[in-house]
Amino acid sequence: MKRAVVALAALSLIAGACKRKPETPANLNAANKVAMRMVRLYYESPAMLLAAETRNVALPESSAAAVPVVVRELLQGPATPVALRLYPADTVVRATYLLPGGTVIVDLGGPTLTQGWGTGSHQELMAVYSLVQTVTANFPEAKSVRLLVNGTPAETLGGHVSVTKSLLPMPSLVDPRFR
Amino acid sequence: MKRLLALGALVALIVTAALAQASGQATLRTPTSTASVTYVEQSGQVYVAAGDVATALGGTIAPDSSGFKVTVNGVTAGFGPDSRYGVVRDDLIEMPVPPISIEGKPFVPWQFFHGFLAKAMSMDVAWEAATHTLALRPAQRDAISVQVSVANVQGISKIVIALSAPAEYSIVKEPTAYVVRFKNPVRAPFTEERYEDPAIASVSLAGGDLRIQLTANDIVGDAYRLENPPRIVLDFRKGAAPPPGTPVPLKPSAPQEAPGIRTIVIDPGHGGREVGAVGPNGLLEKDVTLAIARKLAAALASTVGARVVLTREDDSVVSLDQRTAFANQYKADLFLSVHVNAAAVKNAKGSETYYLSLEASDELARKAAETENVTSTPNPTADLNLILWDLAHQAYVTESSRFAQSIQEEMNAATAVANRGVKQAPFKVLVGATMPAALVEVGFISNPEEETKLKSDEFQTMMVDALTRAVQKYKTDYETRIGLIQPAAPAPATATAPATTATRTEP
Repeated sequence: MKRAVVALAALSLIAGACKRKPETPANLNAANKVAMRMVRLYYESPAMLLAAETRNVALPESSAAAVPVVVRELLQGPATPVALRLYPADTVVRATYLLPGGTVIVDLGGPTLTQGWGTGSHQELMAVYSLVQTVTANFPEAKSVRLLVNGTPAETLGGHVSVTKSLLPMPSLVDPRFR
Repeated sequence: MKRLLALGALVALIVTAALAQASGQATLRTPTSTASVTYVEQSGQVYVAAGDVATALGGTIAPDSSGFKVTVNGVTAGFGPDSRYGVVRDDLIEMPVPPISIEGKPFVPWQFFHGFLAKAMSMDVAWEAATHTLALRPAQRDAISVQVSVANVQGISKIVIALSAPAEYSIVKEPTAYVVRFKNPVRAPFTEERYEDPAIASVSLAGGDLRIQLTANDIVGDAYRLENPPRIVLDFRKGAAPPPGTPVPLKPSAPQEAPGIRTIVIDPGHGGREVGAVGPNGLLEKDVTLAIARKLAAALASTVGARVVLTREDDSVVSLDQRTAFANQYKADLFLSVHVNAAAVKNAKGSETYYLSLEASDELARKAAETENVTSTPNPTADLNLILWDLAHQAYVTESSRFAQSIQEEMNAATAVANRGVKQAPFKVLVGATMPAALVEVGFISNPEEETKLKSDEFQTMMVDALTRAVQKYKTDYETRIGLIQPAAPAPATATAPATTATRTEP
């Protein structure tokens, strides 16, 4: 019995030695100060232009950590009755990256975008630029937005607007009162 | 007891085997040093510990909200656990599979560093399986890569020589040729290229001499250089140089270069499984666009006197790139993409016309390309695409605007609904068209009232009539401006009206 115990102990030691010591990365969200902050989310108004809806959202101090929170908040849809949801309700944010130089990569997914979003030019244009406008308006270091779908580059979200390059805000789509 | 020992040995074997198969130490070899990095092999894919490699190269790795950021040599790349794309600057790094995490430690496919270190250190990276070595060596740049594009822009033959790096050169004028004499070694993917161009017959490379052979000895050229990315541009025109932008009439002896609107490509939006927008009562955008495009093609063929071609004639899938490529292959003089709109605003109505906007999408790409070329490995293909895009933009944006304006005016007159106007947007189907191009949205299928109209033959015919008038109006205007047809003498009552109004031909 002693031998068995010794053998198991030795085996345990070997296994323990082989197993790498976990190196759990520091959690930036925990390190950041999370506080209620006011964000501007851009939706389509009845005038068929983008208009900002302000909302208080619990956000980390770090912009890199806050970007996906704001984009997810945008995709939840507007709170004001007159504003209009632009993205399919099943759209998800898979990941975001805030890169040095001001490009924000937003990786979208969800059944509709994956299977083919049947929409018109206007709605697609407004959807794409509502995201671009929201990101660049809330994060001064963000200059442009590059969209991916399911982690890969896409030509368009719905067959019209090219998302093969980083997109700058398009002020002509925004109601002058909210530019 | 024996059983217990046997079980212990079995577990030990499994653990050992698993470790032997799954991980080990690889060598990271640079031109000046070697280091040990952890690697893992799963299903034939080699992953390396991103932190080990970054540290060995004097860099850092840090988690962020959605993955990790690796910084080497001042350049940062990001990757996440779910995406087989990393990002560096504005470019994507493609990996065969997504990175993995082992006990919280990120492992990336070794190809991540192939893409990343080309940007960060101008290094080529290879995995040497026999010795388990990640080998870094300076990227091969023994000769400057040269790519050439030729385009005729408003009567001026423009040649753009795209360089993979700045080069020293001089330009020597010969009686019927210009020779760009490089002081650096250069290479090109061709020995000689021939062109059907009024001024440029061929371009050939021999040694360090790039020879631009002209079609005649009375052709004058202007040369200038552009930086970021490095380019040499030569503009050629016959005889004395007219002011920039002046249309240069082509000689009748060159019928293949005859100006005017001779071929029109009509593009019915969507098709096949790509149905486009769907109306509240089930009408599909792809069906409306095909019906209108077919009628429009027939109307144009009989009234405008041009060859008219459809990008699709049935319910088939045609990619967006194929549509413009199709128009380019046919050397179309005009491209019109027909669409039906949809909006979240349920009572949206009216038509609108778009032409390509590059400022929203391309300005940053240009800046990124500039930055990239200043600080790291140039990408000649991307540069050339950018240059061709620039050329197309310069040449056709004004004409596309005029064409779009003509369409919108006729649509407004026909439908008497709210004028939604002419707009610019980065529509994919207009990208790459080397001719004046526009996209018309004939109505809102998302509005039940307009959906009913769009389905009706009467409304479709009204749209077709308006579009036919618009094409005819633009054609007459364009051909008048380039001197192909004489402007009609203005009548006293319409002395201030544009000549195109007087010469408009009703179908």
